Amino acid sequence: MATTEVERRRGQLAALSIAAVVILIGVPLWWRTTETYRAWLPVSQIQELANLQLQLSADVEVVFARGTVTPEQQKKVPLTLTQDDEHVVDEDTALRYRYETRYRTATIMEEDALNQPTAAEADLSLHTLSESPCGSLVVYVIPESSSLLPEDVDVYVGQRRTALLRIGAQTRVGRTLEQLLSHLEPRVKQVLQVMSFSHTDITAALSDRVRLSPGNKESIADSMRAFKSSPGYEITFSLLNPDPKSHRLHWDIEGAVQTYIQPLLRKLAPLANFSIDSQTLYYAMLGVNPRFDSSRSAYTLNSDSLAHVINPVEARLGSNAASSNPVLNFLLYVPDAHHSPLHINDHKKQEVPSNAFHSPRWGGIMVYNVNDFYGPEAAFPVDINIDMAKVMGVFLAQLRLLLGVQSSAPPPRFLVAPCSSAGIADWELDRLMWSRSVENIATATTTITSLAQLLDQIGNIVINDNIAQQVSSAVTSLQLAVAELESGNLRFALQYSKEAILASERAFFDPSLLHLLYFPDDQKFAIYIPLFLPMCVPILLSLLKIVSDARQRRREKHAKAD
Amino acid sequence: MAAPLTLLLILAVTIRAALYRSSLADLIAERVEVVSPLTAWKRVVEGLALLDLGVSPYAGDVFHETPLIIYLFHFLVDYAEITFMVTDVITAVALYLAVKDYNKQVFRKQKYALEAERYPLDCLELIRSPKEMYYIPLKVAMFYLLNPFTILSCVAKSTCGLNNAVIALFILTTIKGNVLLSAIFLSLATYQSIYPLTLCAPALLYLTQRQYIPVNFRRFSFWWFVAQYAFMYLGSLFVMICLSFFLLGSWDYLPSVYGFILSVPDLTPNIGLFWYFFAEMFEHFRLFFLCVFQINIFFYTIPLSIKLKEHPVFLIFMQLAVISIFKSYPTVGDIALYLAFLPVWSHLHRFLRNIFLVSCVLLACSALFPVLWHLWIYAGSANSNFYYAITLLFNVAQVGRTVTETKVHLAASVSGFVYRSCCLTVT
Repeated sequence: MATTEVERRRGQLAALSIAAVVILIGVPLWWRTTETYRAWLPVSQIQELANLQLQLSADVEVVFARGTVTPEQQKKVPLTLTQDDEHVVDEDTALRYRYETRYRTATIMEEDALNQPTAAEADLSLHTLSESPCGSLVVYVIPESSSLLPEDVDVYVGQRRTALLRIGAQTRVGRTLEQLLSHLEPRVKQVLQVMSFSHTDITAALSDRVRLSPGNKESIADSMRAFKSSPGYEITFSLLNPDPKSHRLHWDIEGAVQTYIQPLLRKLAPLANFSIDSQTLYYAMLGVNPRFDSSRSAYTLNSDSLAHVINPVEARLGSNAASSNPVLNFLLYVPDAHHSPLHINDHKKQEVPSNAFHSPRWGGIMVYNVNDFYGPEAAFPVDINIDMAKVMGVFLAQLRLLLGVQSSAPPPRFLVAPCSSAGIADWELDRLMWSRSVENIATATTTITSLAQLLDQIGNIVINDNIAQQVSSAVTSLQLAVAELESGNLRFALQYSKEAILASERAFFDPSLLHLLYFPDDQKFAIYIPLFLPMCVPILLSLLKIVSDARQRRREKHAKAD
Repeated sequence: MAAPLTLLLILAVTIRAALYRSSLADLIAERVEVVSPLTAWKRVVEGLALLDLGVSPYAGDVFHETPLIIYLFHFLVDYAEITFMVTDVITAVALYLAVKDYNKQVFRKQKYALEAERYPLDCLELIRSPKEMYYIPLKVAMFYLLNPFTILSCVAKSTCGLNNAVIALFILTTIKGNVLLSAIFLSLATYQSIYPLTLCAPALLYLTQRQYIPVNFRRFSFWWFVAQYAFMYLGSLFVMICLSFFLLGSWDYLPSVYGFILSVPDLTPNIGLFWYFFAEMFEHFRLFFLCVFQINIFFYTIPLSIKLKEHPVFLIFMQLAVISIFKSYPTVGDIALYLAFLPVWSHLHRFLRNIFLVSCVLLACSALFPVLWHLWIYAGSANSNFYYAITLLFNVAQVGRTVTETKVHLAASVSGFVYRSCCLTVT
């Protein structure tokens, strides 16, 4: 049996123990179990990357053929010169172009190759001698008297990575080696700008990062034509037959793709993955009514109405839903019997010889007239075999334009060799790889820095381990890509930049980041209050009672002492 | 007292046997109020089948009972009904003997207090007469055996009956004063479901007071006794866990049994509070609230031990009530165990203000459980909120009843001049 005093003390002790458990165990438990998980990110490295200092190194070998250098000058050659060009694009981005030029004289075998009658043959035999690595150039300097190049051409750009440069006579050029080199230097640089990279190309590739004032109308059109860099592309060939009752069309698309398109895509393999499919659409009309031109007794589509052609057709094209890669559509339209032949007119109302047009970042359309294949008394439907060589020629040219292989006309007095069997020259591929690497690096750095900024500012985003790992791998790949660009290994730079882009996109668009993003604070109250408020009220009341009792006892003690 | 007890046992066994043979047995075995994912007989059969196939019975997340149970039923599966009836009989007999011994002690204490004239004269009505106390053990056994909850639990062959038997044996050995057996049975009960760990405190309090060791933190004798008891308890627990490991050959019963009880992955509706709460809980806060709910059960041990230091058997009753209400997968079998103790403190029932209200609520909720389940699952015109409302009401009634019991008991134990005023306020 206990007295009331003891009972009361026991009650106080019980209340205190409850409060102790709540504070000592409850609060740390709550803190640990409800914090958002944020894995560690390499923030300092990301901030370093925000300030992009790109260095592009190109190796050039300048080979002097016989008759271009005097014997005294020849003694001082071979020599290597390095030249840096600095450009500051904006406060975060700076570019440096480093040209490492190696001068030497031609070997006997190269002299023999240069003695060929035409430039094309010389080019071919020079290839058999040596293979220059990706990203480098060889410029053969030939004397003015050489008959390789025609009269009005000073530079011949070959199919691989060689160029033939015609130089003036000694008297015009100068006696000493320094004078010769100073004369050569701007011309070699011009060749480099055509064959490797030019400042306009690189700044166009950085357009994601840097807002530049647009140039003239043509440069805007050129910069918007090619597809943005992507790890893969889908190419779709569609045959549109609006009139199956009159024409039964046969096209050997598989063979044509194998023969014409695949060599190009195989050569472009380091750049991206390509997947090709084809389809035939029946009863697909153009959205525009062509006008009959009696002077040419043909139907015409003028250039203004071309813009309206694509939309109604695009809805019926369909696409591969499983991939998120951009799609290049190539349409072959065979006009129906009542509207044949159909010609496309350009701005000057002249017939376009290829009878085709392309739309930037979408694809191309070619109109193939078949009215010549049958007479008026033919029994409908008529079987028609489409000449795939002509069609593929047009599509290949459009494909090159859309992928960004060829962007501008060469400077005056330049002769560019026609493309090899693959459809793309090695130096064109190098050019594309330079601009794509820079574009990838720029996009990846923008993505990573904006992701880091976002994660820093919003405390509610959950950063899982896999996000942190993706970010780290993106940062590493970016650093490697920049380093490889600096040392001039173009292929590795492109590979690392592709990895960097993939990792950064995967990290940025991961859905697990948004797990707790829209969790407003008042919902947290709604979660805690129903359980804890009723629990805490008696605890708080008893604590208050204990405190007031203690205070009263102390007051009584003071009163007793007085 | 043997004859009425035997008669009671025969009656209880008859009722259970009759129900076993009827068609109600299957129906009852599926009710969620009676069986839980921990105790269902269907799952035991599934575990036995897996064991016979040579696969671990814990593969597939079906079976969540301990390995000792599965080995027990490995030999007894053909006699399952008899096993459960015998278990109920053991529980009833254990409770009978325990309460008889306890009553003897209470009576002795009362006699000394009377002779010391510590009771005021007004409170004579609170003193129990020998005649009343003569029938209390039988009433306890009857309350347990003829409780509809117990009968339902036995007919459903829920392993809750085995848990109750072990706890009843623990109570018996504690009250008899056998320290070793008390530790062994307590560790067996803890081994089966973790919550009886909280019964350590009342057991320690009772045994120290029985051996006249003062419960004082500064005395060495107290700590020495605690150390002995803890050693026996932990030792037997360790032995049982290792035995389970050697029986099945792997440790995967630990996450399946204890991980299941503690982390509550199965949210099948039952008469507890966990399922609804965790079904609607945000994933981010799940761990926090799981910890809070589990701590809730162990939370009341220390304050209650402080307040009820001198009433350890009442403390056992309180702890059993707390466990049955707040455990992760309660069933009516758990409730039946602590309801069996009500006759022990029947002298206080006239002071319980709300006994009528509470009893009515309990009866009504028990009746409404199957009704609202049918409306929710089969008719589709109600939803989980209806069922949870009845669950809440049921638990609130239980909590209300336990709280008032505690208050009244404490009031009744305070001696001296406050006694009368307490009687007046309580009535």
